[in-house]
Amino acid sequence: MLRYIIRRVLYAVPILFGVTLLTFILFYMTATPDQVARRNLSAKNPTQQQLNEWKAEHGYDKPLWQQFTKHTRELFLLQFGRSDTNDEPIWNRIRAGAGPSFMLMSLVFVTALITSISFALFVAYFRGTYVDYWGTFLCVLLMSIVYMVYIMAGQFILGKLLKYFPLAGFRGGLTAWKFLLLPMIVGVISGLGGSVRLYRTFILDEINQDYVRTARAKGVSERAILFKHVLKNAAIPILTSTVAAIPGLILGSLLLESFFGIPGLGSLLVDAINSQDFAVIRAEVFLGTLLTIIGYILTDIGYAMVDPRVRLE
Amino acid sequence: MLEISRPPAMSAETIKPCASQSRRLCIPCARLLLLALLALLVILLSGCSNNPYPPGQTARPILYRALGDDPRTLDPSVSYTITEANIVDLIYPTYFRYHYLKRDPFVLELALGAEQPKREPYLYTETENGRKVQKRGEIWTFRIKKGLRFQDDPCFPGGKGREITAADILYSFRRMADPTVPCPVVNYFSDKILGMDAYIAHNLALSKQGKKADYQMPVEGLQLDPHDPYTFRIALNQPYPQLRYLMAMHFTTPQAHEAVEKYGKELARHPVGSGPFMLTEYVPKSRIVLEANPNRFAEFYPTEGMPGDAEAGLLQDAGQPLPRVEKIIYSTIKEGVTAWNLFLQGYLDSSGVSQENFQQVVSRAGQLSPEMKRRGVRMHRDVSANIGYLIFNMEDPVVGGYTPQKRKLRQAISTAVNSQEFIDLFSQGLGKPAEFLLPPGIFGYDPSYKNPYRQYNLDRAKQLLAEAGYPNGIDSKTGDRLTLYYDNAAVTPAGRQQVGLLTKQIEALGIHLESRVSRPNIWQDKVDHGQFQFVQYGWIADYPDAENFLLLLYGPNRRPGPNASNYNNPEYNRLFEQMRSMEDTPARLALIKRMRDIAAEDCPLIYLSHDESLVLTQPWLKNVKPHPVANDSGKYVGVDGPLRARLQAQWNRPNYWPAIGLVLFLVIGSIPAANLVRQRTNRSVRRNREARR
Repeated sequence: MLRYIIRRVLYAVPILFGVTLLTFILFYMTATPDQVARRNLSAKNPTQQQLNEWKAEHGYDKPLWQQFTKHTRELFLLQFGRSDTNDEPIWNRIRAGAGPSFMLMSLVFVTALITSISFALFVAYFRGTYVDYWGTFLCVLLMSIVYMVYIMAGQFILGKLLKYFPLAGFRGGLTAWKFLLLPMIVGVISGLGGSVRLYRTFILDEINQDYVRTARAKGVSERAILFKHVLKNAAIPILTSTVAAIPGLILGSLLLESFFGIPGLGSLLVDAINSQDFAVIRAEVFLGTLLTIIGYILTDIGYAMVDPRVRLE
Repeated sequence: MLEISRPPAMSAETIKPCASQSRRLCIPCARLLLLALLALLVILLSGCSNNPYPPGQTARPILYRALGDDPRTLDPSVSYTITEANIVDLIYPTYFRYHYLKRDPFVLELALGAEQPKREPYLYTETENGRKVQKRGEIWTFRIKKGLRFQDDPCFPGGKGREITAADILYSFRRMADPTVPCPVVNYFSDKILGMDAYIAHNLALSKQGKKADYQMPVEGLQLDPHDPYTFRIALNQPYPQLRYLMAMHFTTPQAHEAVEKYGKELARHPVGSGPFMLTEYVPKSRIVLEANPNRFAEFYPTEGMPGDAEAGLLQDAGQPLPRVEKIIYSTIKEGVTAWNLFLQGYLDSSGVSQENFQQVVSRAGQLSPEMKRRGVRMHRDVSANIGYLIFNMEDPVVGGYTPQKRKLRQAISTAVNSQEFIDLFSQGLGKPAEFLLPPGIFGYDPSYKNPYRQYNLDRAKQLLAEAGYPNGIDSKTGDRLTLYYDNAAVTPAGRQQVGLLTKQIEALGIHLESRVSRPNIWQDKVDHGQFQFVQYGWIADYPDAENFLLLLYGPNRRPGPNASNYNNPEYNRLFEQMRSMEDTPARLALIKRMRDIAAEDCPLIYLSHDESLVLTQPWLKNVKPHPVANDSGKYVGVDGPLRARLQAQWNRPNYWPAIGLVLFLVIGSIPAANLVRQRTNRSVRRNREARR
């Protein structure tokens, strides 16, 4: 397994290099250094001298190959530098935003996983009854609704109408739960339809297996079959579909964080693109790629741990 | 139930004892777990409230405001947007400030200044063509109050803010000349303060050698009084009365070199000032907290205002010390709909009015809607000192030029553009059609003036177009339809609708208007390089003087300067140079009127509108009077905290019945399904038994 992991880590290097190169090319295809400088200077009509000063200070006056080699070297050393827009150290921003993003997204992740599996088991348990039919209908309905509607409806019903939760805001420490509950509920419900249907299919696939029939023939109760045998085996595809979501736990959710005022990393990339903050764009893209690669390696490891038939060679 | 239905034939091997034991325990455990979860839910719900602030906090004299996003910088030498200025101007005071209540004209009063500055002629020597020439400039002598102190901060010895001297104000001027400090208004100073241009060039040369800027180099225009640490002088190469306005901008605030040296770039998030407030908390993308600065200098609420201010309750706090609140909390709320809902819940003290909530706020008669009146909300009109306009490229072969035909073409298009229609359709009727560059409240604005080419009249426009050589939009020389290109960056639906309306209005003349959409940075590039025929632009006043608007047509300010049309009329330029150094006198007014008439006939711009916006405030807010230029209202506004806490509690009582109803519905709804499953299990057990028999 160790050899496999080492090989995967080595594969990651050209991928990261390729992503860095692509980001660099795409960025320079959309904006010239002068445009970037103008965008990041606050003057109404900056002079060419001011533009040149800005470019020199942020390293945009160097030849492109020099810029690229410098950026790539710094990224691989995880030296992200300062934001082009406000000169804030990018690591500070990532450190400050990763906490709230992780709190929110891990809460959504864990709750969504437990809720989805519970509902999937519930529906599978009641398969063939009206609970199953209505449950499936409800899942399709939930899947058909646009994400924004969940946010607006969640804020309107739970925040404004019933007044259970603050509409937006965030405080650290023990009071954080108060601000995280509403986005968590919205995040969980919005993904519930798809997950429940998917997991229900995994579970029903298992329910029709021979070992289940054997257990049933031996007189094992339906509940024990479902929880002790089916769930364990259904966990393999569930694991595959969930571990890949790990990068999102740190990188956050754009819409949830924007609407609920969570100071996470969700909007960092979009804000950076809007303000043409190349320093943040390249750091965020690099970090996102790195976390995605780590997520997939973890998926493979988890797969091998859960399913004894799988060997990582 | 499951215990009963378990087949008696089940052997010990089929299910491990521990498993069967655990299942027996499982049911009470599950019930316990369910009960625990329910209890937790009850506790959570009982503790639940939609109040985003700590309990009891809203009863205190605190102002709650919203920010659309984090300010890019709070460095007073760099920050330029209104959002930034709303915070920076409360932390960094200046020599002058605007009178909070007086308008038309705006009145400057002393803030840090101990006395009105003295203006005297100043003779200086300049080298022209290798010969030394003596010229006549002007020197201003300023004296600040004694005993002013910076806020306490670790950058000072012992953490105690030291006394402010005149050197701290001149330090701000020197920061403008530092190439690492991108001061957006350095041009307002560099071409007027004696020696400033040379100082900037010197620092630039140092910067190219990798050295830091020189903060010690003598500059003729920046002089400290060797006998009085509170006096400084600014020598100018020309009389420039607008300097007094610049001394009310945060770029000229006293700055502590200790703070700049200690925090460097972090000064953008760690301001160290001497104003009524100081920053005590900055959580990016979440909140900024300002608290009253214990070292602030004595300031008082104005004792007089405009007619009607006393009746509006704006003088209730007359003579009271400032600030009127102990804290201002800015919450970063990106989405307008969220901010609006927080305002409706009472958790924000003020709100703007957008297209989305306009119907809810304003009745057909233009008054507050009954719903808002019932809540006690008050509406204030915020008339901004700005102008929106369309620009002709004066160097374009089709629309540019100064021949009578070219003038008539531009005049025809100008006469066909109906600003009121734009205001009605896109600004909910808020705004004033512009007749010239100057907005209301600025010296030179004439409410009775009607620009001859800004009175919408399609017939006259067609006549002018025919006289220009394009009858019904057809070029009389070639027989082709005249096509104009409108460069824009309209990517939003509203932006595209505006382009559509402009196209409709201009095409009514028979001209074909083609919209060329670009991304904003490409569009800006096109404007800077003159690669356009026709674009839209806007200008917000830096200071309330006619010069700050009339410079938009001054020839030497050509692209990429503020004169984007590259309009260059020698007579206009001459009058501008004469006007800018004059006080607001009838003679100056006469010059402004002549410039206005010249620009009207040449028609390089189509003046569209001066914006207006609505501000809503909660019933517990006092002393609200939006100022078109000043950004320090936070120190004047007062709060009735107990009233706010009472109304918030009244407006935000949670309703638990729907949640309880939903849980009951789910539980009761599942019972028949449980029965069905039980029956199905029993049937299967019976089948098994029968099979065994």
